[in-house]
Amino acid sequence: MFRISHILTAATATAMLLVTAPAFAQGPTLTAEQAMAALRAVQAYAKKDGSDPSTCVVDRDGNVVLLLKGNNAAPHNIGLAQRKAFTANMFKMKSIEWRDATKPGTPRENERQTPNAIPLGGGVPIMIGNEVVGAVGVSGTRGGQEGDTAGAQAGADAAAAAVQRLQAQAQVR
Amino acid sequence: MEMLRNGVSKLAIGVFAVFAFSAVYALGFQLVKSATLQSLNYNDISVEQAMLVAEGAINECKKDNSAISVAVVDRDGLVRFLLRGDGATPELVDNARKKAYTARTFRQATRDWMTRTAIDAKDDNGKAIDLNGQQYLENTIAEIGGMPIIYKGDAIGGVGVTGSKGGGDGDEKCAKAGVAAIADQLL
Repeated sequence: MFRISHILTAATATAMLLVTAPAFAQGPTLTAEQAMAALRAVQAYAKKDGSDPSTCVVDRDGNVVLLLKGNNAAPHNIGLAQRKAFTANMFKMKSIEWRDATKPGTPRENERQTPNAIPLGGGVPIMIGNEVVGAVGVSGTRGGQEGDTAGAQAGADAAAAAVQRLQAQAQVR
Repeated sequence: MEMLRNGVSKLAIGVFAVFAFSAVYALGFQLVKSATLQSLNYNDISVEQAMLVAEGAINECKKDNSAISVAVVDRDGLVRFLLRGDGATPELVDNARKKAYTARTFRQATRDWMTRTAIDAKDDNGKAIDLNGQQYLENTIAEIGGMPIIYKGDAIGGVGVTGSKGGGDGDEKCAKAGVAAIADQLL
């Protein structure tokens, strides 16, 4: 009897473990290597552009993974790069699109009150399939908000490519 | 006569105004010119150098598979480059920045600064040096793993590392490897 109850307890505990294990929130997160891949792509864009931008990469929680301040950055550039990345990640779209979607006088204008968000172009989400896993923000290219967006897009593409490369490697293993 | 006198004095005022304006203008121009000539000019760690330093530190720490967080600050102690290591706990990234800041602002390895600012620190003659108050300064951190970046006696930046498997000693080893990556530029 004693033994049977032990076996039953053990079986119940095992069953509970099996049930509870998948309860964790799970999802891909951005690695330092992906952030560096994004930065190198932005720097390559800047070289062609002849500019000296500041760059920020945030993860899916909007936390900073990487920051770089340009050589001759204006004091606002690095904070602005971070806010653009934050915006693109939070609203899951380019910050230039969000700017246009929240124009004053439109129903969504109050979204502009969101702390740390900024209605300026230069933030681009990093997409893996349809999922946003982070974002790149760029401030200080030659082309204004469109130029910053193009630079950030290069970075986001490179980060996404790095994710896919790592996933492919993992599958080979 | 009265009208003539009025006319003359108006003319005088006009001439005076023109002269006064020219004088002020010329003076202003001189000030701007001298400001241009005498503006501060200094060396600061560049984007390119900061990335070499960071990569040097990261690669050194890869040898034992440590995923470090690394910060490079400029001569003002502001972040030039910051990277969060994979799996870093929330405070580690900012601690890397603080290590870099501390090394930059006190122009020495954070290890040496910790010794100098310890509660019972003594100078070479055995006399007590009470610098412990420095540890209360904002943005400083009494942890090993921060190195200054010195060019011709001038601290142009600092690098801080956290999260290596070797603890503070491991962090410092990687920070030193980072500075070594641009050693040829610091001669």
